[in-house]
Amino acid sequence: MLTTIAAGQLPVLLLLLAAGTVAKVWTVVREAEPGMLSRLGPAVLVPERWRKHMMLVCAFGELFLACGLLVSGRPFFRWAVIAFFAVSTYVLWELRRRRPDVGCGCFGEVSAVPVGRRSLGRTMVLTAMSAGLLLTPEISGWEAIAGMTWTHLPSVIAGLLVLAALSPEIEEAVARLRYRAPCEQRRFDPATALGRLRSSTVWRSHTGRLTSTEPVDSWRELCWRFFVYSGQSHMGEPVDVVFAVYLSGRHPAVRVAMVGSDGRPVETTSLPESLPVSA
Amino acid sequence: MPYLSADRRRALAAAALGRAAQEPGPLPVEGESFHSVSGAILDVSPHLIVIDTPDGDEERLVIAPWATAWRGEAVTPADLPVGSNVIIRALRAGRVVDRIWADITRITGVIQSIDAEGKDHSVELYCGPHRGRRTIVIPYRASGRLRVRHPQFEPGYLFDAIGVRENGVAQARLPATSQPPYRWRAVPTPPPGYSGTQSRISGTATWSDTFDCGEQGVAYPMLERSDTACDDAGVSCTGLPYLSLGSMLNVRNVCAGRTSVLPIVACGCLAGRFCDRCLECGTSPRGRILELSPSSFVELGGDLTAGCFNARLGMG
Repeated sequence: MLTTIAAGQLPVLLLLLAAGTVAKVWTVVREAEPGMLSRLGPAVLVPERWRKHMMLVCAFGELFLACGLLVSGRPFFRWAVIAFFAVSTYVLWELRRRRPDVGCGCFGEVSAVPVGRRSLGRTMVLTAMSAGLLLTPEISGWEAIAGMTWTHLPSVIAGLLVLAALSPEIEEAVARLRYRAPCEQRRFDPATALGRLRSSTVWRSHTGRLTSTEPVDSWRELCWRFFVYSGQSHMGEPVDVVFAVYLSGRHPAVRVAMVGSDGRPVETTSLPESLPVSA
Repeated sequence: MPYLSADRRRALAAAALGRAAQEPGPLPVEGESFHSVSGAILDVSPHLIVIDTPDGDEERLVIAPWATAWRGEAVTPADLPVGSNVIIRALRAGRVVDRIWADITRITGVIQSIDAEGKDHSVELYCGPHRGRRTIVIPYRASGRLRVRHPQFEPGYLFDAIGVRENGVAQARLPATSQPPYRWRAVPTPPPGYSGTQSRISGTATWSDTFDCGEQGVAYPMLERSDTACDDAGVSCTGLPYLSLGSMLNVRNVCAGRTSVLPIVACGCLAGRFCDRCLECGTSPRGRILELSPSSFVELGGDLTAGCFNARLGMG
């Protein structure tokens, strides 16, 4: 019974280690805002110039342990995982004492909530789970997972539920999904907006008027991104063709105007001639 | 990508969105409007000051009996040395001097290094990608007052002071704010904005001397990095919306009740890192939301030596 429960924690541990690796690497690569790493777990304990490296060392350490557990049945990797989570518990305890304002960084920027009892409890539970692996047969994780039966399922689900209950990141992620920042405050890639512009009907109906292939200027204002191209009016005069692309939504609005050198809009379509009406 | 002028961007955006292009300038105000005059002093007497403006014109202004001047400390206008660069707050269509600031400079940046020069300190500051580095001197007689408001006097922390330029050297005299307790790259995140952007945002407006002489405009922190070639832009602890160079802002000095429509002309990447509060007329509800050029700051009724006022910001 105890062996079955312990064996059921292996996929949970592998999942946690893999998720930690991906989230940390994503946080370092993306670095959504300068100074993000100064509010996260292990990175904050080292000087500023070493913070990225520290985060990556943690990420690749977790990846190494996950791969080791998956492909090897050697006790070294099991003891290494126990040591990793035990040291993590101590680091979080120290972090809570020395820097109560920073998050644990366990799952990158999502773990920006200050370290609390739940985060500490989670690493303790993970330490206990990894210690339980010593009770299981010394076969690789891959073989162990392949040999699992339905009897292991309750143990896996229970492990996941305990960890979910001890993870403040889930509430943070739900809050981020539920309460998104307004469009005006969110980052948007200019290349995405340009792609949306070039797939729009407004673009296709005005490409004949453009004399430049690349925009001569581009800027963002609130939820709009503007692209300016050199072009020609219906009369053959040089004009600036300005496209405005709304940044939010699946089918964003695209507007266009042609502006002469005097700053006045040029009519994009000629007015229809009046039709004679018989009484 | 080249940057079209602010006026051109304004015209293009207005045409694309079908809105009216508002012209920059002060909005009508009850009572006397302020004008700013900048230049170098050619001559000064107790009643008259002659200024050489950047355009090469000679301006003759009457000094009001109540007028005061500042050059590192309060002085009488007639004691200002010839050749000083001054910013004047003028009344009556810009003909009567109300207040003079001479050789004033705003020293805002990140401390890079500190060296002792006798009793004085020489401090190297990083002032942002556009503004580069500058070296300033903290005289011994001003160091106590500055250090009280800047307890983290070490590299990596923000510094903000008001001083004077003497012989080409900027000397800090007054602390412009209480130093933020965090390092400049560890700016606290703004509180999450769960609803649509407010039509008006209240916060602190400061000034900077990195604008051209007499230029009207603001430096705004929340700009896209790709549009401005400013790698430090897009950081603010006040939850501001993204705007661009050329966007027009409606800036109201809440303390003085004056409003101007001003274009964004520079990247305010350092302003966004100050979560301090202005205490000019009550505590400002947020940190810095923009930096004004000295001329715009003066015309909105701000006192350059105070360094800030409570502002309300809207789209122009």
